[in-house]
Amino acid sequence: MDIHENKLVGEIEKLREEFVKTTEKLIKDVKRQDKIMLRSDKRQQQEYDELQKKFGEVEALQKEIEDTQKEVVFTMGAIGESRSKETGNHVKRVAEYSYLFAKYYGLAEEECEMLKQASPMHDIGKVAIPDSVLNKPGRFNEEERAIMDTHAQLGYDMLKHSNRSLLKAAATVAYEHHEKWDGTGYPNKLAGEDIHIYGRITALADVFDALGSDRVYKKAWDDEKIFKLFKEERAKHFDPKLIDIFFDNLDQFLEIRDSLKDTIED
Amino acid sequence: MEILKIEETKYTPEIVLDPSGTISLKGKSYPENTFEFYAPVMKWMEEYFAESPADTTVINMEIIYFNSSSSKLFFDFFDLLEENAEENTVEINWIYDEENESAEEAGEDFIEDFEDLNIKLVQK
Repeated sequence: MDIHENKLVGEIEKLREEFVKTTEKLIKDVKRQDKIMLRSDKRQQQEYDELQKKFGEVEALQKEIEDTQKEVVFTMGAIGESRSKETGNHVKRVAEYSYLFAKYYGLAEEECEMLKQASPMHDIGKVAIPDSVLNKPGRFNEEERAIMDTHAQLGYDMLKHSNRSLLKAAATVAYEHHEKWDGTGYPNKLAGEDIHIYGRITALADVFDALGSDRVYKKAWDDEKIFKLFKEERAKHFDPKLIDIFFDNLDQFLEIRDSLKDTIED
Repeated sequence: MEILKIEETKYTPEIVLDPSGTISLKGKSYPENTFEFYAPVMKWMEEYFAESPADTTVINMEIIYFNSSSSKLFFDFFDLLEENAEENTVEINWIYDEENESAEEAGEDFIEDFEDLNIKLVQK
């Protein structure tokens, strides 16, 4: 009986030994896991903070790039404007009208924003037109008119090499803003929807603003005269859908015109 | 035994296991399946100690970035070294960059956990 008991005790003691060994290993493992977790959490927090900081920096840089781009593009538009007979806030108004047309036409917000920035560059090609032609008082003869008309192609040639979407849009605007819906425009006599929507929109925005502004060589047209022309030119010079958008939202277009009026010194 | 060399990847370190007694792990360690990735390394180490360990085995570990399962794996790796450190001379250099706080702390953890191992923290 004693022997039997001793054998049992021996086995139990062996079991206990194994148990202690195993539990010690388990405790060690659990402690290690805890340590790893703790370190990992701490590191994750640091990494997250670091990432947030970097994101902030990237965002700031992105904004800096975008602002610079906007400024350069706007300056280019102003240069084009200085070579044209339009003055004052012309390019700003064209930009705002273009945005509004694009929005109601149903373009995506990014596209509307891009066109708003690109449309002021429509006359950039005029920087390459000789002063003798550009500054000629009075009407152009046929040859001079032909030279003036090259500004669309010239503007396109200046901008077409860029891979930037904004400058590409500007190239399109410069190229196609004198095309007409019925195919009688220049430089390529494109018609209908073969004219890029950016070109169709800028064409209308540009003409609306030019007609409604006082210039050294002409008085501003009154609104009724402009509206009459637009109705006549619907589906001739201009995209009919854009003319409809114009009349459907006339208040908003006139509001832009009022808010960006040319000042006296202009 | 033959040299086992594993080239560095975007997620895994360069590993050179040389039976002449120099073991080195260098780079980042966040493999998709950590234990699978290190299985040949552990196997090689076991065989190395079982068959023909060098008089002195030097382990150079320069891990600049590692995930938590790598951390666990390194504990297992040090366990293996500790088991063999009684009969063999094993020197471990845990190499870290001054600015790499996590790597330094991991090294300190290993020293704390493996009192019988000769682990040196080596600042670059």
